[in-house]
Amino acid sequence: MSEIDISLEIWRQKDSLASGVFETYSLQRISTDMSFLEMLDVLNEQLTREGKDPVAFDHDCREGICGMCGAVVNGIAHGPEPETTLCQLHMRHFKSGDTIVIEPFRSRVFLPIKDLMVDRSGFDRIIQAGGYVSVNTGGTPDANAIPVPSTTAELAMDAAACIGCGACVASCPNGAAMLFTGAKIAQLSLLPQGQQERKERALSMVAAMDNEGFGNCTNERECETVCPKGISIRNIARMNSEYFKASFFS
Amino acid sequence: MWPIIFLKSSIGKKWVMACTGLCLIFFLFSHAAGNATLFYSTSLFQSYADQLHSHPLIVSLFSKGLFAVFAIHIITGILLFLQNRKARPQKYKVHKRAFKNSIASRTMIYSGLFILLFAVIHTAAVSFGDHGVIAHTVSTMFSSFVLSMFYIVAFVVLALHISHGLWSMLQTFGVNHPRYTWIIHKITYAVPLFFLLLFGAIPFLFLFGSGN
Amino acid sequence: MELNSAVPEGPLAEKWDNHRFSSKLVNPANRRKYKIIIVGTGLAGASAAATLAEQGYNIDSFCIQDSPRRAHSIAAQGGINAAKNYQNDGDSIRRLFYDTIKGGDFRSREANVYRLAQVSNSIIDQCVAQGVPFAREYGGTLANRSFGGAQVSRTFYARGQTGQQLLLGAYSALSRQIKAKKVSMHTRKEMMDIVLVGGKARGIITRDIITGKLEKHAADAVILATGGYGNAYFLSTNAMASNVTAAWRAHKKGAGFANPCFVQIHPTCIPVHGDYQSKLTLMSESLRNDGRVWVPKKPGDSRPPASIPEEDRDYYLENKYPSFGNLVPRDVASRNAKEQCDAGKGVGNTQLAVYLDFAEAIKRDGEASILKKYGNLFQMYEKITDSNPLHEPMMIYPAVHYTMGGLWVDYNLMTTIPGLFAVGECNFSDHGANRLGASALMQGLADGYFIIGTAVANYLGSTSLGHVAADKPEFTKALNGVDDRIEKLLRSSKNGPAGKVTVDEIHKELGLLLWDHCGMARNKQGLELALAKLPAIQKKFWNDVYIPGSGKELNQSLERAGRVADFLEFAEIMIHDALDRAESCGCHLREESQTAENEAKRDDENFSYVSVWEHKGAGVPPALHKEPLVFEDIVPSQRSYK
Repeated sequence: MSEIDISLEIWRQKDSLASGVFETYSLQRISTDMSFLEMLDVLNEQLTREGKDPVAFDHDCREGICGMCGAVVNGIAHGPEPETTLCQLHMRHFKSGDTIVIEPFRSRVFLPIKDLMVDRSGFDRIIQAGGYVSVNTGGTPDANAIPVPSTTAELAMDAAACIGCGACVASCPNGAAMLFTGAKIAQLSLLPQGQQERKERALSMVAAMDNEGFGNCTNERECETVCPKGISIRNIARMNSEYFKASFFS
Repeated sequence: MWPIIFLKSSIGKKWVMACTGLCLIFFLFSHAAGNATLFYSTSLFQSYADQLHSHPLIVSLFSKGLFAVFAIHIITGILLFLQNRKARPQKYKVHKRAFKNSIASRTMIYSGLFILLFAVIHTAAVSFGDHGVIAHTVSTMFSSFVLSMFYIVAFVVLALHISHGLWSMLQTFGVNHPRYTWIIHKITYAVPLFFLLLFGAIPFLFLFGSGN
Repeated sequence: MELNSAVPEGPLAEKWDNHRFSSKLVNPANRRKYKIIIVGTGLAGASAAATLAEQGYNIDSFCIQDSPRRAHSIAAQGGINAAKNYQNDGDSIRRLFYDTIKGGDFRSREANVYRLAQVSNSIIDQCVAQGVPFAREYGGTLANRSFGGAQVSRTFYARGQTGQQLLLGAYSALSRQIKAKKVSMHTRKEMMDIVLVGGKARGIITRDIITGKLEKHAADAVILATGGYGNAYFLSTNAMASNVTAAWRAHKKGAGFANPCFVQIHPTCIPVHGDYQSKLTLMSESLRNDGRVWVPKKPGDSRPPASIPEEDRDYYLENKYPSFGNLVPRDVASRNAKEQCDAGKGVGNTQLAVYLDFAEAIKRDGEASILKKYGNLFQMYEKITDSNPLHEPMMIYPAVHYTMGGLWVDYNLMTTIPGLFAVGECNFSDHGANRLGASALMQGLADGYFIIGTAVANYLGSTSLGHVAADKPEFTKALNGVDDRIEKLLRSSKNGPAGKVTVDEIHKELGLLLWDHCGMARNKQGLELALAKLPAIQKKFWNDVYIPGSGKELNQSLERAGRVADFLEFAEIMIHDALDRAESCGCHLREESQTAENEAKRDDENFSYVSVWEHKGAGVPPALHKEPLVFEDIVPSQRSYK
């Protein structure tokens, strides 16, 4: 273990209406074993002791699965390490003397709440538009009644691994939510359980996505590069064809 | 109405870009085929042009159709660009790309607009030249070093534009599968390179005097 | 406090069926006249909200996060049990029931556990129908893996993300009902208090996390699905926002709290690496199949592991438990690691870790074979610790990760407050003194999908409930109480931070106290000491805590302070409970009650009961009530690992 001194430039915004500014802080003797969020905890303890307002940021599980945390670190959503959420990023990836710029996820849809916190409820509304199989509790057939080839199940699982963190939108130069939406459409269009509503789902989820104000995909591949779960843009390709088929052949 | 809903949707616009893009690639292939006659002789090229213009109806339909496709491609592209700018109104302080090799995708709007400029100049140059003798127009044109260089730059930009466009088109059509990744990878290099070499060779042909 | 477990009549296997028949119903047309509040959107809360909404009730669902999809159920890795017997290896409902009740060291209610095993199969059917991508065999049928505490393969899984996939399934069902306007979803709201009208639960008070606004919500019944209280220890594998507040508020309003001292401590977690650490990460227990646990023989030996020769190493598990070696049960492994570290033999910077060494296994089976089994775990370990377990031994240490105790509920999952239900980890119901792996997901979904519907209908159908609106004085009173408490929390911060302590400092102090005296091994002396030390910490908190900002805005320090204040009160009944239970059972090891081989010695004669604590008011010791555990169908045996 070693220790580093760093300086931070963090976006500070009091509330959704206030205009934000970057504030600079310096932190001494930060253990390289700390996670990025623990480093922010240390900063917040320091700010609290100085009687200042701590930096608000979203976080919960701190093991890379809840999708609550996220910020743009030195220009990259969730920081420089591939397939890593902010909470799983460790300070050993930074050097003493580094300046780390921390900005909230930005998009027209992800409205700022405070500091690094943004509103990602647009994602929920996309799922509400059709990211489910309409089946009530009870009365379902035996789990083994419909076989699913293991390769199909694996592909569906690849898509289903999405944690809804919003890094795809934040990193997309167009603020598009196609990776998020595509992953859910792909998951359910692959599985036999999703077939009944396959077309309706593609139509309504894409409509909801557009309606929220997310941008258009121009295949920049930023989303899959920053995705902490390594979700492939193949899922976007699948959504494109699902949507086409649903529009013309339903 | 479903076609309108489709066309207005984000994915519908991708399909419009992809389909018109595909038409334009087909056009480029036919254009390239015609131009290739130049490598044989200018007279063959001239007779190809004469043949073409002996069917005014086809030429008129074809050029109007081409114009429409081109216009739709450009308008949709600009529309997407403007919409996308609004989708992320606030820029990041540190502007960095995570994906490597993104020059082509990043510059689509600019390469596209440059190609538009080129198309205008090219069409003007060809149409306002000596009407009957297209071969003459071409050889006059490429005797100018500046114009030749402009053409070559335009072809490089075109290749860049197509390399991302073609890949995007396949992605829009849903053609993205690990099994085909290698072939898609090759096509997205081979096709633009083909156009670059074929079109780019023509100014050289004339510049170095082997065209006649 | 009257404890009527309401266990139905009849033979064990028929109780649930009998109960469903004798329960009251609400006809579909009338269901839309009822409103039900559900707090929490984890597996239990989301599944309950979706199911009740499908049945026609109007649901108000609340979660503390920005989206219902983020509840901590999402972090469960291993799998979910069900008695499907797809592997044809002798599994049955009865076997799942028996394994679960035995795993819980015979401290759970027979009828509840049997029902859990009965509905387990429907859970898998339900999840598959929702599009949960469970692992499959090549032929397309569902795959199973085996898990601790069972000799059959009954665990269904979706890679190492089973909890995530099941939660997203429940979240999708919930989303469908939100779209159908049967559920109105309230995100970023923290429940601050429960409101009783005429002795029945009729609503809650919430605080909007963004604006700080306090809100009143009225309903016909309230369901708490607010998870466990592992974060009382500060460091645990729980999510940062996991807390006891909702359950504790209910407890203070009259809900009995059962077995609060039953806390499961998982032996293989990545150790604490500094005082800044915020949480602990679990590593799969399966690592102990090939890893050898050791510490240096000499206390304080700070040589790097590679330079400690064999003769200076103490493979303490192998030496102490020659027949089980490194594969002793969770509680034994955890307790021994603590013992070694307490003796000064811990390793690493903090000396609170033991080695888990793969060198011998690598020599025996080769790197490739070990990587094939544990590659992803090694990767995760390396990501966090920057050390490659192929080249140097892993360091592990136990960590708090699940709480079996919780609000006392009857067979209908109803607490001692009429109309207040508790589902999932926040009730005490099914795991007794120890939970088996892959059973938490099963219980959460069983409660939410298949049990709460019957229970709620029975309550609404058998209770006369007048209309209650949120403008009743009871609501205003509760709201004012919450407001006053926030004022009180902020009182000590008026003059700035000088000479004050932060919320986290107090929380860490409490956590350490509980960990030291009410953690893996407990004794009377230590527990009494903890009880004696607690008031000083409480006092320090209320007098000296500094919270920046106000209550009328987004204030994460204030949120944490409110939760820590409740943990400080809650710790008291936890310690009282551990003190009262002078036997060892499951996770609860009282050092006074051990066999000669250092195994937990249960005392059925004196402690075969559920401890239920009643709040008697501030400054008054809590009262203990006992629900005797009656085993009609099975005979409790001493757990043996031989």
